[in-house]
Amino acid sequence: MRKVNLTPYLLVLPTLLYLILFFAYPMVRSLSLAVSGEDEYLDILASPDAGAEVSGTLAMQVVVKIVDRVQQDEVLPNGRTRPVYWFQVQGLDINRNEVIGWANQRYLFVESRAESTEARVTSGVPVQGWTLQHIERMFNDFRFWSAIRNTLLLIVIVIPIQFVIALIMALVLQSGIKGSSLFLYIYAIPLGISDLAAGMVWYSIFTQRGFLNSFLDRLGLIDTPFIFIGNDKFGWMMLAIVLAEVWRATSIVMVIVVSGLQGIPRDYMEAGEIFGATLWQRIWHIILPILRPSLQVALILRTILAFQVFAVVVAIAGRDLIPVLANETYRWYNQGDAGFNNPNVAAAYAGLIMLISLGISLFYLRALRSQSEQAAL
Amino acid sequence: MTAITQLNPEQRLAIRRWRVRRATTYLIAILLAFWILLPIWLIMTMAFSSAQDVRAYPLYFAPIPFSTETMQFFIDADGILQSTLNSLWVAVLTMVFSTLIATPAGYAISRFVFRGRDAIRLGILAVRAFPIVILAVPLAVIFINLGLYDSLFSLSLLHTALVMPSSVLVISSVFATVPYELEEAAKVFGCTPFQAFLKVIVPLVLPGVAASAIFAFVTSWNEVFAAILLTLQNRTLPAQILFSLDKSGDPFKFAGAFFMLVPSMIFMFFIRRYLFNMWGQITK
Repeated sequence: MRKVNLTPYLLVLPTLLYLILFFAYPMVRSLSLAVSGEDEYLDILASPDAGAEVSGTLAMQVVVKIVDRVQQDEVLPNGRTRPVYWFQVQGLDINRNEVIGWANQRYLFVESRAESTEARVTSGVPVQGWTLQHIERMFNDFRFWSAIRNTLLLIVIVIPIQFVIALIMALVLQSGIKGSSLFLYIYAIPLGISDLAAGMVWYSIFTQRGFLNSFLDRLGLIDTPFIFIGNDKFGWMMLAIVLAEVWRATSIVMVIVVSGLQGIPRDYMEAGEIFGATLWQRIWHIILPILRPSLQVALILRTILAFQVFAVVVAIAGRDLIPVLANETYRWYNQGDAGFNNPNVAAAYAGLIMLISLGISLFYLRALRSQSEQAAL
Repeated sequence: MTAITQLNPEQRLAIRRWRVRRATTYLIAILLAFWILLPIWLIMTMAFSSAQDVRAYPLYFAPIPFSTETMQFFIDADGILQSTLNSLWVAVLTMVFSTLIATPAGYAISRFVFRGRDAIRLGILAVRAFPIVILAVPLAVIFINLGLYDSLFSLSLLHTALVMPSSVLVISSVFATVPYELEEAAKVFGCTPFQAFLKVIVPLVLPGVAASAIFAFVTSWNEVFAAILLTLQNRTLPAQILFSLDKSGDPFKFAGAFFMLVPSMIFMFFIRRYLFNMWGQITK
């Protein structure tokens, strides 16, 4: 038997360990954070006595009927006693079954201890375990659906524009014009530009006393500055964000497309030209089919990155006007005044982004593969 | 020699058509360059205008009269200098960690054929696709539990995970450009494998590895989402700017944007030749 050469494994090991520690483990931890936590439940008892048998379990904030009440003397740590009510309550438990039992007044909100016929469960005993409460909270948040909508809207608008521009850039660079390496550098500049800086750059254009208004003013088209960024300017803010995203993130698609184009043999293009194919025909019948793997990679990468759009939106529209998924993740995590300090719901958002990204990648891989298989038949 | 001045009308038409096409290509190339450069020019105009001119309306479209007042105001603003130093430190750590860890892996992937190589390559690629938002929340919680929260060091650990896939892929493609025969020849002439690597290979791959290191630096310098989640007091520059967005006026934002742009533009210039190394091999 040939001896296995261990050297490559040893060389790859640090990278693998690092990625397991700082990539795989956090991902798993993220999912577990999203579905674990403390839930509070109130156990109601068979008799008005703290040691009695449990007769049912109520969720928080459930409204129950008061069937009976007794007053007891509770002994305080200093030896004194004070009167305490126990209520016999009837209501639906966590499994929607009718239950009846006794609970101490401190777990319930009752308007008048002597007369009320209804009580609300306000506290109980925390239980550590699996829970869907964070995910429910995420879905029930009033910003959630607009965050989903805005994120998807941006993806649907931005990505096609990016691909068209990137393809044009790549074709221009491949056409053999003079100075193409200068053009390449210029087109690649945004690769190094952070989303925050890009957002602020486009903010300077769209802000009230910004460049766009100044330009329109200089042309004499407007008398007073037009407000593009504000409470009821959803369309304009989205336009600014779309432009910033196209400006900033088209370069990566361009680089991938150029790499793919370099793989196209010149003969193909020349053959197309000799047989009189128009530019459009060459793009459609020669370039795009050969570029399919590159486009697939670019599409997956851009879509997944688009789900993380964050700083551009915050820099242009502030934290509240245009909710997007990444922004909401931050809002839930944030420990400052503007945040909810709830890493679990933030993890639910992160998990959701992860699942959607994964789903979309698989969808693209399948869709694009089945096409090429059909073409092969 | 036959005179080429005698062209029939058909040939003339073809030449004219070719010229029109060439001109159109140049026009498109220049328009696209204009689209990229114009916003950069505008923000530079703002960064180098006086405070008065930044607040004026309508704005000027060139930094005339030139003034460093706005830029000075930004640099003197609370916390900017410290956060810039923090950003530099995180970026340097990220650069060092990612290069040290990724170089052996890149070498192995380009030089050895071994079982599981494709799986490892694919796995590394998958990591490239799923980073920051997903990673930042759980790592923040993990770092809090470990008492490593709000530290520049832990932020650089996250940034390293972020750039690791790109580093491995770029470095492996750089090694692939150096013929293995060179290494063998060195061994024939009496070098140990390690000496051969050090004396023959390292000088040849150094520019490419440096490019990947610079790329790691830029990625870390630009990264904002993890930075605001993982730091409270020790903010990096993007985190500091993002935190101050609500409270600060337009001059601060304009100068800040330009300040962040400059290093990335310079670095991109140095690594532009290597951009395709990263993506060329992925699509194969």
